[in-house]
Amino acid sequence: MRAIRGGLILLGAVGMAYGAWLLVSRQDLGQIVEVALWLAAAVVIHDGILAPVVLGLGWVGGRLLPRAVARGAVTVLVLLGPAALVAIPVLGRFGAKPDNPTLLDRDYTQGLLVFAILCVCAGVAVALGELRSRQPARANVEEE
Amino acid sequence: MRIPSEDSFTSRLRSAAVAARVGLWLGICFLVALVTGLISHYAQLDHQPVPLPASPSRLYQLTQGLHVAAGTAAIPLLLIKLWVVFPKLFQPMPRQVREALPTALERGSIAILVSTSLVQLTTGLLNVAQWYPWGFSFRSTHYALAFVAVGALLVHIAVKLPVVRDALTGDVDDTAHDRPNARRPGPVSRRGVLVLAGTSALAATFLYTAGTIPGVGRIAALSPRSRKQGIPINRTAHSAGVVAEASSSAYRLELVHGAMTRSLTRDDLVAMEQRTHTLPIACVEGWSASGEWGGVRLRDLLDLVGAPRGREVRVRSIQTFSASADTVLPPNFADDDRTLMALMLDGETLSMDHGYPVRLIAPDRPGVMQTKWVSRIEVL
Repeated sequence: MRAIRGGLILLGAVGMAYGAWLLVSRQDLGQIVEVALWLAAAVVIHDGILAPVVLGLGWVGGRLLPRAVARGAVTVLVLLGPAALVAIPVLGRFGAKPDNPTLLDRDYTQGLLVFAILCVCAGVAVALGELRSRQPARANVEEE
Repeated sequence: MRIPSEDSFTSRLRSAAVAARVGLWLGICFLVALVTGLISHYAQLDHQPVPLPASPSRLYQLTQGLHVAAGTAAIPLLLIKLWVVFPKLFQPMPRQVREALPTALERGSIAILVSTSLVQLTTGLLNVAQWYPWGFSFRSTHYALAFVAVGALLVHIAVKLPVVRDALTGDVDDTAHDRPNARRPGPVSRRGVLVLAGTSALAATFLYTAGTIPGVGRIAALSPRSRKQGIPINRTAHSAGVVAEASSSAYRLELVHGAMTRSLTRDDLVAMEQRTHTLPIACVEGWSASGEWGGVRLRDLLDLVGAPRGREVRVRSIQTFSASADTVLPPNFADDDRTLMALMLDGETLSMDHGYPVRLIAPDRPGVMQTKWVSRIEVL
Protein backbone atom coordinates (compact mmCIF):
# COMPACT_ATOMS: atom_id res chain seq x y z
CA MET A 1 0.00 0.00 0.00
CA ARG A 2 2.77 2.40 1.00
CA ALA A 3 4.72 1.61 -2.16
CA ILE A 4 1.64 2.02 -4.37
CA ARG A 5 0.86 5.41 -2.83
CA GLY A 6 4.45 6.56 -3.15
CA GLY A 7 4.57 5.43 -6.76
CA LEU A 8 1.30 7.20 -7.59
CA ILE A 9 2.51 10.47 -6.03
CA LEU A 10 5.79 10.27 -7.94
CA LEU A 11 4.05 9.47 -11.24
CA GLY A 12 1.52 12.25 -10.61
CA ALA A 13 4.25 14.78 -9.87
CA VAL A 14 6.09 13.81 -13.07
CA GLY A 15 2.83 14.14 -15.05
CA MET A 16 2.13 17.59 -13.63
CA ALA A 17 5.68 18.76 -14.29
CA TYR A 18 5.60 17.46 -17.88
CA GLY A 19 2.23 19.09 -18.55
CA ALA A 20 3.41 22.40 -17.07
CA TRP A 21 6.52 22.27 -19.23
CA LEU A 22 4.41 21.55 -22.34
CA LEU A 23 2.17 24.46 -21.42
CA VAL A 24 4.93 27.04 -21.06
CA SER A 25 7.20 25.83 -23.86
CA ARG A 26 4.81 25.73 -26.83
CA GLN A 27 3.01 29.07 -26.70
CA ASP A 28 3.92 32.72 -26.29
CA LEU A 29 3.71 34.56 -22.98
CA GLY A 30 0.36 36.24 -23.72
CA GLN A 31 -1.23 32.85 -24.42
CA ILE A 32 0.24 31.28 -21.28
CA VAL A 33 -1.06 34.17 -19.16
CA GLU A 34 -4.50 33.67 -20.70
CA VAL A 35 -4.46 29.95 -19.81
CA ALA A 36 -3.55 30.92 -16.23
CA LEU A 37 -6.46 33.37 -16.19
CA TRP A 38 -8.83 30.64 -17.37
CA LEU A 39 -7.54 28.27 -14.68
CA ALA A 40 -8.15 30.88 -11.99
CA ALA A 41 -11.50 31.98 -13.43
CA ALA A 42 -12.76 28.36 -13.52
CA VAL A 43 -12.25 28.00 -9.75
CA VAL A 44 -13.67 31.45 -8.99
CA ILE A 45 -16.77 30.83 -11.12
CA HIS A 46 -17.37 27.36 -9.63
CA ASP A 47 -16.53 28.01 -5.98
CA GLY A 48 -17.67 31.61 -5.91
CA ILE A 49 -20.83 31.60 -8.03
CA LEU A 50 -22.12 28.17 -9.06
CA ALA A 51 -21.57 26.33 -5.77
CA PRO A 52 -23.04 29.12 -3.57
CA VAL A 53 -26.10 29.35 -5.85
CA VAL A 54 -26.69 25.59 -5.52
CA LEU A 55 -26.05 25.78 -1.76
CA GLY A 56 -28.57 28.62 -1.53
CA LEU A 57 -31.16 26.61 -3.48
CA GLY A 58 -30.56 23.63 -1.18
CA TRP A 59 -30.85 25.80 1.95
CA VAL A 60 -34.08 27.48 0.83
CA GLY A 61 -35.56 24.28 -0.61
CA GLY A 62 -34.73 22.30 2.54
CA ARG A 63 -36.63 24.80 4.70
CA LEU A 64 -39.59 25.69 2.48
CA LEU A 65 -40.45 22.51 0.63
CA PRO A 66 -42.12 19.41 2.08
CA ARG A 67 -39.93 16.34 1.75
CA ALA A 68 -41.76 14.86 -1.25
CA VAL A 69 -41.55 18.11 -3.21
CA ALA A 70 -37.89 18.53 -2.23
CA ARG A 71 -37.17 15.07 -3.66
CA GLY A 72 -38.79 16.05 -6.91
CA ALA A 73 -36.94 19.38 -6.97
CA VAL A 74 -33.56 17.69 -6.42
CA THR A 75 -34.34 15.29 -9.26
CA VAL A 76 -35.07 18.19 -11.62
CA LEU A 77 -31.99 20.14 -10.50
CA VAL A 78 -29.52 17.25 -10.91
CA LEU A 79 -30.89 16.16 -14.29
CA LEU A 80 -31.53 19.58 -15.82
CA GLY A 81 -28.80 21.74 -14.23
CA PRO A 82 -25.75 20.11 -15.83
CA ALA A 83 -27.54 19.69 -19.17
CA ALA A 84 -28.39 23.40 -19.17
CA LEU A 85 -24.74 24.30 -18.53
CA VAL A 86 -23.63 21.91 -21.29
CA ALA A 87 -26.15 23.59 -23.62
CA ILE A 88 -24.70 27.11 -23.23
CA PRO A 89 -22.40 26.92 -26.31
CA VAL A 90 -25.20 25.74 -28.60
CA LEU A 91 -27.97 27.89 -27.10
CA GLY A 92 -25.88 31.00 -27.69
CA ARG A 93 -24.79 29.76 -31.15
CA PHE A 94 -21.44 31.41 -30.43
CA GLY A 95 -19.55 29.27 -32.94
CA ALA A 96 -22.06 29.68 -35.79
CA LYS A 97 -20.62 30.49 -39.21
CA PRO A 98 -22.83 32.09 -41.85
CA ASP A 99 -21.37 29.97 -44.68
CA ASN A 100 -21.72 26.62 -42.88
CA PRO A 101 -25.31 25.42 -42.42
CA THR A 102 -24.12 21.98 -41.19
CA LEU A 103 -22.89 23.51 -37.91
CA LEU A 104 -25.43 24.18 -35.11
CA ASP A 105 -28.30 23.00 -37.30
CA ARG A 106 -31.06 22.49 -34.72
CA ASP A 107 -33.45 24.58 -32.63
CA TYR A 108 -31.60 24.20 -29.32
CA THR A 109 -33.98 26.33 -27.26
CA GLN A 110 -36.84 24.02 -28.21
CA GLY A 111 -34.67 20.95 -27.55
CA LEU A 112 -33.69 22.09 -24.07
CA LEU A 113 -37.29 23.04 -23.33
CA VAL A 114 -38.50 19.53 -24.23
CA PHE A 115 -35.76 18.02 -22.06
CA ALA A 116 -36.75 20.37 -19.21
CA ILE A 117 -40.36 19.17 -19.46
CA LEU A 118 -39.14 15.55 -19.30
CA CYS A 119 -37.08 16.39 -16.20
CA VAL A 120 -40.09 18.03 -14.52
CA CYS A 121 -42.17 14.94 -15.33
CA ALA A 122 -39.45 12.79 -13.73
CA GLY A 123 -39.45 15.10 -10.71
CA VAL A 124 -43.23 14.89 -10.33
CA ALA A 125 -43.07 11.10 -10.63
CA VAL A 126 -40.41 10.95 -7.90
CA ALA A 127 -42.46 13.24 -5.63
CA LEU A 128 -45.64 11.19 -6.16
CA GLY A 129 -43.70 7.98 -5.55
CA GLU A 130 -42.50 9.41 -2.22
CA LEU A 131 -46.04 10.41 -1.20
CA ARG A 132 -47.44 7.02 -2.08
CA SER A 133 -44.69 5.07 -0.29
CA ARG A 134 -45.23 7.16 2.84
CA GLN A 135 -48.99 6.54 3.16
CA PRO A 136 -48.84 2.81 4.00
CA ALA A 137 -46.02 3.55 6.44
CA ARG A 138 -48.20 6.07 8.24
CA ALA A 139 -51.09 3.58 8.32
CA ASN A 140 -48.78 1.07 10.01
CA VAL A 141 -47.86 3.60 12.65
CA GLU A 142 -51.51 4.26 13.39
CA GLU A 143 -52.20 0.56 13.82
CA GLU A 144 -49.53 0.26 16.46
CA MET B 1 -22.69 36.91 6.54
CA ARG B 2 -20.15 34.76 8.35
CA ILE B 3 -17.83 32.40 6.52
CA PRO B 4 -19.05 28.82 6.97
CA SER B 5 -16.86 26.18 8.57
CA GLU B 6 -16.66 22.52 7.59
CA ASP B 7 -19.18 21.75 10.35
CA SER B 8 -21.78 24.09 8.85
CA PHE B 9 -22.50 21.32 6.34
CA THR B 10 -24.64 18.67 7.99
CA SER B 11 -26.13 16.61 5.13
CA ARG B 12 -25.26 12.93 5.28
CA LEU B 13 -25.14 12.92 1.48
CA ARG B 14 -21.80 14.75 1.68
CA SER B 15 -20.01 11.53 2.54
CA ALA B 16 -16.84 9.69 1.58
CA ALA B 17 -19.03 6.75 0.53
CA VAL B 18 -20.73 8.93 -2.11
CA ALA B 19 -17.59 10.86 -3.08
CA ALA B 20 -15.61 7.65 -3.68
CA ARG B 21 -18.30 6.19 -5.95
CA VAL B 22 -18.85 9.31 -8.05
CA GLY B 23 -15.07 9.76 -8.03
CA LEU B 24 -14.56 6.25 -9.38
CA TRP B 25 -16.85 6.95 -12.35
CA LEU B 26 -15.15 10.29 -12.87
CA GLY B 27 -11.77 8.59 -12.80
CA ILE B 28 -12.92 6.10 -15.44
CA CYS B 29 -14.11 9.00 -17.65
CA PHE B 30 -10.72 10.74 -17.23
CA LEU B 31 -8.85 7.55 -18.05
CA VAL B 32 -10.90 6.95 -21.21
CA ALA B 33 -10.46 10.60 -22.25
CA LEU B 34 -6.70 10.45 -21.62
CA VAL B 35 -6.09 7.25 -23.59
CA THR B 36 -8.33 8.22 -26.53
CA GLY B 37 -6.91 11.76 -26.50
CA LEU B 38 -3.34 10.45 -26.70
CA ILE B 39 -4.41 8.20 -29.60
CA SER B 40 -5.88 11.22 -31.38
CA HIS B 41 -2.75 13.34 -30.93
CA TYR B 42 -0.58 10.45 -32.07
CA ALA B 43 -2.81 9.89 -35.11
CA GLN B 44 -2.21 13.51 -36.11
CA LEU B 45 1.58 13.20 -36.09
CA ASP B 46 3.04 13.55 -39.57
CA HIS B 47 5.67 10.88 -39.03
CA GLN B 48 4.47 8.21 -36.59
CA PRO B 49 7.36 6.06 -35.31
CA VAL B 50 4.95 3.10 -35.33
CA PRO B 51 2.10 3.83 -37.78
CA LEU B 52 -1.41 3.27 -36.46
CA PRO B 53 -3.31 0.47 -38.20
CA ALA B 54 -5.50 1.34 -41.19
CA SER B 55 -7.97 -1.35 -40.08
CA PRO B 56 -10.56 -1.46 -38.72
CA SER B 57 -11.54 1.64 -40.67
CA ARG B 58 -13.88 2.79 -37.90
CA LEU B 59 -11.38 2.62 -35.03
CA TYR B 60 -10.67 6.37 -34.87
CA GLN B 61 -14.40 7.08 -35.14
CA LEU B 62 -14.84 4.90 -32.03
CA THR B 63 -11.92 6.26 -29.99
CA GLN B 64 -12.66 9.92 -30.70
CA GLY B 65 -16.38 9.42 -30.13
CA LEU B 66 -15.50 7.90 -26.76
CA HIS B 67 -13.16 10.80 -26.00
CA VAL B 68 -15.87 13.42 -26.41
CA ALA B 69 -18.52 11.24 -24.73
CA ALA B 70 -16.30 10.59 -21.68
CA GLY B 71 -15.49 14.29 -21.37
CA THR B 72 -19.15 15.30 -21.59
CA ALA B 73 -20.20 12.62 -19.07
CA ALA B 74 -17.54 13.96 -16.70
CA ILE B 75 -19.21 17.39 -16.52
CA PRO B 76 -22.29 16.36 -14.45
CA LEU B 77 -20.14 13.91 -12.47
CA LEU B 78 -17.55 16.56 -11.61
CA LEU B 79 -20.22 19.07 -10.54
CA ILE B 80 -21.83 16.47 -8.26
CA LYS B 81 -18.45 15.31 -6.92
CA LEU B 82 -17.56 18.91 -6.05
CA TRP B 83 -20.94 19.37 -4.34
CA VAL B 84 -20.30 16.28 -2.20
CA VAL B 85 -16.82 17.37 -1.07
CA PHE B 86 -17.52 21.13 -0.92
CA PRO B 87 -17.19 21.32 2.93
CA LYS B 88 -13.51 20.40 2.61
CA LEU B 89 -12.94 23.86 1.14
CA PHE B 90 -13.55 25.24 4.65
CA GLN B 91 -11.29 22.85 6.56
CA PRO B 92 -8.96 24.74 8.92
CA MET B 93 -5.20 24.63 8.28
CA PRO B 94 -3.15 22.81 10.95
CA ARG B 95 -1.20 25.18 13.23
CA GLN B 96 2.08 23.27 13.36
CA VAL B 97 4.45 23.64 10.42
CA ARG B 98 5.21 19.92 10.32
CA GLU B 99 1.53 19.14 9.64
CA ALA B 100 0.79 22.32 7.73
CA LEU B 101 3.29 21.67 4.96
CA PRO B 102 1.89 18.33 3.71
CA THR B 103 -1.63 19.71 4.11
CA ALA B 104 -0.73 22.75 2.05
CA LEU B 105 0.84 20.57 -0.64
CA GLU B 106 -2.23 18.34 -0.74
CA ARG B 107 -4.59 21.33 -0.91
CA GLY B 108 -2.44 22.80 -3.65
CA SER B 109 -2.69 19.60 -5.68
CA ILE B 110 -6.48 19.63 -5.19
CA ALA B 111 -6.66 23.24 -6.41
CA ILE B 112 -4.68 22.25 -9.51
CA LEU B 113 -6.87 19.18 -10.03
CA VAL B 114 -10.12 21.16 -9.76
CA SER B 115 -9.06 24.07 -11.93
CA THR B 116 -7.43 22.01 -14.69
CA SER B 117 -10.39 19.58 -14.71
CA LEU B 118 -12.88 22.43 -15.04
CA VAL B 119 -10.84 24.06 -17.83
CA GLN B 120 -10.28 20.77 -19.69
CA LEU B 121 -13.98 19.91 -19.66
CA THR B 122 -15.03 23.46 -20.55
CA THR B 123 -12.59 23.96 -23.42
CA GLY B 124 -13.41 20.50 -24.80
CA LEU B 125 -17.13 21.26 -24.59
CA LEU B 126 -16.70 24.58 -26.39
CA ASN B 127 -14.46 23.04 -29.06
CA VAL B 128 -17.24 20.59 -29.97
CA ALA B 129 -19.46 23.61 -30.72
CA GLN B 130 -16.54 25.45 -32.44
CA TRP B 131 -16.68 28.33 -29.95
CA TYR B 132 -13.22 29.71 -29.19
CA PRO B 133 -13.45 32.69 -26.83
CA TRP B 134 -9.70 32.61 -26.09
CA GLY B 135 -6.39 33.52 -27.69
CA PHE B 136 -4.42 30.39 -26.76
CA SER B 137 -4.11 27.30 -28.91
CA PHE B 138 -6.86 24.85 -27.99
CA ARG B 139 -4.87 21.88 -29.17
CA SER B 140 -1.62 22.64 -27.32
CA THR B 141 -3.42 23.75 -24.16
CA HIS B 142 -5.84 20.79 -24.03
CA TYR B 143 -2.87 18.44 -24.53
CA ALA B 144 -0.66 20.05 -21.88
CA LEU B 145 -3.39 20.44 -19.25
CA ALA B 146 -4.36 16.78 -19.69
CA PHE B 147 -1.02 15.76 -18.16
CA VAL B 148 -1.38 18.28 -15.35
CA ALA B 149 -4.95 17.18 -14.56
CA VAL B 150 -4.21 13.45 -14.65
CA GLY B 151 -0.99 13.97 -12.66
CA ALA B 152 -2.91 15.86 -9.98
CA LEU B 153 -5.57 13.13 -10.07
CA LEU B 154 -2.94 10.43 -9.40
CA VAL B 155 -1.67 12.43 -6.39
CA HIS B 156 -5.26 12.81 -5.17
CA ILE B 157 -5.90 9.06 -5.53
CA ALA B 158 -2.65 8.29 -3.68
CA VAL B 159 -3.58 10.56 -0.77
CA LYS B 160 -7.13 9.19 -0.52
CA LEU B 161 -6.38 5.54 -1.31
CA PRO B 162 -7.10 4.07 2.17
CA VAL B 163 -10.40 5.99 2.47
CA VAL B 164 -11.37 5.15 -1.12
CA ARG B 165 -10.68 1.46 -0.55
CA ASP B 166 -12.74 1.41 2.65
CA ALA B 167 -15.57 3.37 1.07
CA LEU B 168 -15.77 1.26 -2.08
CA THR B 169 -15.64 -2.07 -0.25
CA GLY B 170 -18.17 -0.91 2.37
CA ASP B 171 -21.85 -0.12 2.02
CA VAL B 172 -22.93 3.18 0.47
CA ASP B 173 -24.77 4.04 3.72
CA ASP B 174 -21.67 3.34 5.83
CA THR B 175 -20.73 6.35 7.99
CA ALA B 176 -17.23 5.29 9.08
CA HIS B 177 -15.47 8.13 7.27
CA ASP B 178 -18.13 10.80 7.77
CA ARG B 179 -17.79 13.92 9.87
CA PRO B 180 -19.62 13.35 13.20
CA ASN B 181 -22.22 16.03 12.56
CA ALA B 182 -22.97 15.05 8.94
CA ARG B 183 -26.11 13.18 10.02
CA ARG B 184 -29.03 15.16 8.60
CA PRO B 185 -30.94 13.04 6.06
CA GLY B 186 -31.11 14.65 2.64
CA PRO B 187 -34.19 14.87 0.43
CA VAL B 188 -32.95 11.78 -1.43
CA SER B 189 -30.98 8.76 -0.25
CA ARG B 190 -27.28 8.24 -1.05
CA ARG B 191 -28.31 5.61 -3.59
CA GLY B 192 -30.67 8.22 -4.99
CA VAL B 193 -27.78 10.65 -5.47
CA LEU B 194 -25.80 7.99 -7.34
CA VAL B 195 -28.76 7.09 -9.57
CA LEU B 196 -29.36 10.77 -10.35
CA ALA B 197 -25.66 11.40 -11.02
CA GLY B 198 -25.43 8.48 -13.43
CA THR B 199 -28.65 9.41 -15.19
CA SER B 200 -27.61 13.04 -15.50
CA ALA B 201 -24.22 12.07 -16.96
CA LEU B 202 -25.80 9.70 -19.50
CA ALA B 203 -28.47 12.23 -20.47
CA ALA B 204 -26.03 15.12 -20.99
CA THR B 205 -23.70 12.86 -22.99
CA PHE B 206 -26.46 11.57 -25.23
CA LEU B 207 -27.99 14.99 -25.82
CA TYR B 208 -24.69 16.71 -26.64
CA THR B 209 -22.70 14.04 -28.50
CA ALA B 210 -25.07 11.58 -30.21
CA GLY B 211 -26.17 13.93 -33.01
CA THR B 212 -24.65 11.98 -35.89
CA ILE B 213 -25.48 8.45 -34.67
CA PRO B 214 -27.91 6.87 -37.16
CA GLY B 215 -31.42 6.44 -35.80
CA VAL B 216 -31.09 8.29 -32.50
CA GLY B 217 -29.21 11.38 -33.69
CA ARG B 218 -32.46 13.19 -34.41
CA ILE B 219 -33.43 13.33 -30.72
CA ALA B 220 -29.96 14.27 -29.45
CA ALA B 221 -31.35 17.75 -28.97
CA LEU B 222 -28.18 19.60 -27.94
CA SER B 223 -25.74 18.19 -30.51
CA PRO B 224 -23.95 20.78 -32.66
CA ARG B 225 -24.01 18.36 -35.63
CA SER B 226 -26.57 16.17 -37.38
CA ARG B 227 -26.95 14.08 -40.53
CA LYS B 228 -29.75 16.24 -41.87
CA GLN B 229 -27.58 17.56 -44.69
CA GLY B 230 -25.47 14.46 -45.25
CA ILE B 231 -21.90 14.43 -43.97
CA PRO B 232 -21.28 17.59 -41.90
CA ILE B 233 -18.64 20.07 -43.04
CA ASN B 234 -16.02 21.66 -40.83
CA ARG B 235 -14.32 24.14 -43.12
CA THR B 236 -16.18 25.44 -46.14
CA ALA B 237 -14.46 26.18 -49.45
CA HIS B 238 -15.33 29.83 -48.93
CA SER B 239 -13.67 30.07 -45.50
CA ALA B 240 -10.63 28.16 -46.76
CA GLY B 241 -10.36 30.68 -49.61
CA VAL B 242 -10.12 28.04 -52.32
CA VAL B 243 -13.27 28.63 -54.40
CA ALA B 244 -11.57 30.35 -57.35
CA GLU B 245 -8.68 27.91 -57.68
CA ALA B 246 -10.78 24.79 -57.05
CA SER B 247 -13.30 25.68 -59.73
CA SER B 248 -10.72 26.95 -62.25
CA SER B 249 -10.21 25.09 -65.56
CA ALA B 250 -6.47 25.50 -64.93
CA TYR B 251 -6.72 23.04 -62.00
CA ARG B 252 -4.20 20.19 -62.16
CA LEU B 253 -3.35 17.41 -59.72
CA GLU B 254 0.45 17.14 -59.52
CA LEU B 255 2.01 13.74 -58.86
CA VAL B 256 5.67 13.83 -57.79
CA HIS B 257 8.09 10.98 -57.23
CA GLY B 258 11.65 12.26 -57.31
CA ALA B 259 12.26 13.44 -60.88
CA MET B 260 9.11 11.69 -62.15
CA THR B 261 6.11 14.01 -62.29
CA ARG B 262 2.64 13.85 -63.81
CA SER B 263 0.00 16.51 -64.07
CA LEU B 264 -3.64 15.38 -64.28
CA THR B 265 -6.90 17.21 -64.91
CA ARG B 266 -10.06 16.15 -63.15
CA ASP B 267 -11.21 14.54 -66.41
CA ASP B 268 -8.01 12.47 -66.48
CA LEU B 269 -8.92 11.21 -63.00
CA VAL B 270 -12.50 10.44 -64.07
CA ALA B 271 -11.14 8.41 -67.01
CA MET B 272 -9.15 6.14 -64.67
CA GLU B 273 -10.55 3.01 -62.99
CA GLN B 274 -13.14 4.11 -60.41
CA ARG B 275 -13.60 2.39 -57.06
CA THR B 276 -16.18 2.82 -54.32
CA HIS B 277 -15.74 2.40 -50.57
CA THR B 278 -17.91 3.23 -47.58
CA LEU B 279 -15.71 5.10 -45.12
CA PRO B 280 -16.40 7.46 -42.21
CA ILE B 281 -15.34 11.05 -41.76
CA ALA B 282 -14.53 11.08 -38.04
CA CYS B 283 -13.82 14.53 -36.67
CA VAL B 284 -11.66 15.38 -33.64
CA GLU B 285 -14.82 17.10 -32.34
CA GLY B 286 -16.34 13.64 -31.85
CA TRP B 287 -18.96 13.55 -34.58
CA SER B 288 -18.67 11.07 -37.41
CA ALA B 289 -20.65 10.09 -40.48
CA SER B 290 -20.11 7.49 -43.16
CA GLY B 291 -20.37 8.15 -46.86
CA GLU B 292 -20.05 6.13 -50.03
CA TRP B 293 -16.95 7.56 -51.67
CA GLY B 294 -16.10 7.01 -55.33
CA GLY B 295 -12.81 7.82 -57.01
CA VAL B 296 -9.35 6.67 -57.96
CA ARG B 297 -7.32 4.44 -55.71
CA LEU B 298 -4.29 6.38 -54.44
CA ARG B 299 -2.07 3.37 -55.18
CA ASP B 300 -3.06 3.58 -58.87
CA LEU B 301 -1.87 7.20 -58.96
CA LEU B 302 1.38 6.28 -57.22
CA ASP B 303 1.93 3.60 -59.89
CA LEU B 304 1.66 6.31 -62.58
CA VAL B 305 4.88 7.87 -61.27
CA GLY B 306 6.53 4.51 -60.54
CA ALA B 307 6.47 4.83 -56.75
CA PRO B 308 7.40 1.60 -54.97
CA ARG B 309 5.19 0.31 -52.15
CA GLY B 310 6.11 1.10 -48.56
CA ARG B 311 6.71 4.85 -48.94
CA GLU B 312 5.26 7.79 -47.06
CA VAL B 313 3.16 10.11 -49.20
CA ARG B 314 2.54 13.81 -48.65
CA VAL B 315 -0.87 15.10 -49.75
CA ARG B 316 -1.14 18.86 -50.18
CA SER B 317 -4.19 21.07 -50.54
CA ILE B 318 -4.87 24.20 -52.56
CA GLN B 319 -5.60 25.68 -49.15
CA THR B 320 -2.35 26.91 -47.65
CA PHE B 321 -2.84 28.52 -44.26
CA SER B 322 -4.33 25.89 -41.95
CA ALA B 323 -3.17 22.74 -40.18
CA SER B 324 -5.14 20.66 -42.67
CA ALA B 325 -3.29 22.17 -45.67
CA ASP B 326 -1.10 19.11 -45.96
CA THR B 327 -0.72 15.71 -44.32
CA VAL B 328 1.57 12.73 -44.60
CA LEU B 329 0.11 9.27 -45.17
CA PRO B 330 2.15 6.48 -43.55
CA PRO B 331 3.03 3.64 -46.00
CA ASN B 332 0.29 1.31 -44.72
CA PHE B 333 -2.31 4.01 -45.45
CA ALA B 334 -0.84 5.07 -48.82
CA ASP B 335 -0.86 1.47 -50.07
CA ASP B 336 -4.26 0.52 -48.62
CA ASP B 337 -6.82 -0.48 -51.27
CA ARG B 338 -9.48 1.69 -49.63
CA THR B 339 -7.45 4.91 -49.70
CA LEU B 340 -9.04 6.96 -52.46
CA MET B 341 -8.64 10.30 -54.16
CA ALA B 342 -12.37 10.82 -54.10
CA LEU B 343 -14.35 12.47 -56.89
CA MET B 344 -17.84 11.41 -55.80
CA LEU B 345 -19.77 11.26 -52.53
CA ASP B 346 -22.98 9.25 -52.14
CA GLY B 347 -23.43 8.96 -55.91
CA GLU B 348 -23.02 12.67 -56.64
CA THR B 349 -20.09 14.77 -57.77
CA LEU B 350 -18.12 15.89 -54.73
CA SER B 351 -19.41 19.29 -53.62
CA MET B 352 -17.07 22.26 -53.31
CA ASP B 353 -17.36 22.17 -49.50
CA HIS B 354 -16.50 18.47 -49.42
CA GLY B 355 -13.29 19.07 -51.38
CA TYR B 356 -14.04 19.38 -55.14
CA PRO B 357 -12.27 18.73 -57.48
CA VAL B 358 -10.69 15.85 -55.54
CA ARG B 359 -10.09 14.96 -51.90
CA LEU B 360 -8.32 12.33 -49.88
CA ILE B 361 -10.38 9.71 -48.05
CA ALA B 362 -8.53 6.98 -46.15
CA PRO B 363 -9.71 4.47 -43.55
CA ASP B 364 -9.23 5.09 -39.81
CA ARG B 365 -7.91 8.67 -39.93
CA PRO B 366 -8.91 11.88 -38.12
CA GLY B 367 -11.14 13.99 -40.37
CA VAL B 368 -8.75 16.93 -40.23
CA MET B 369 -6.22 14.76 -42.11
CA GLN B 370 -8.61 13.76 -44.90
CA THR B 371 -7.22 16.56 -47.06
CA LYS B 372 -9.72 18.44 -49.23
CA TRP B 373 -9.05 20.31 -52.52
CA VAL B 374 -5.93 18.22 -53.18
CA SER B 375 -3.39 19.86 -55.50
CA ARG B 376 -0.26 17.76 -55.07
CA ILE B 377 0.69 14.20 -54.11
CA GLU B 378 4.36 13.71 -53.34
CA VAL B 379 6.13 10.41 -52.63
CA LEU B 380 8.63 10.94 -49.79
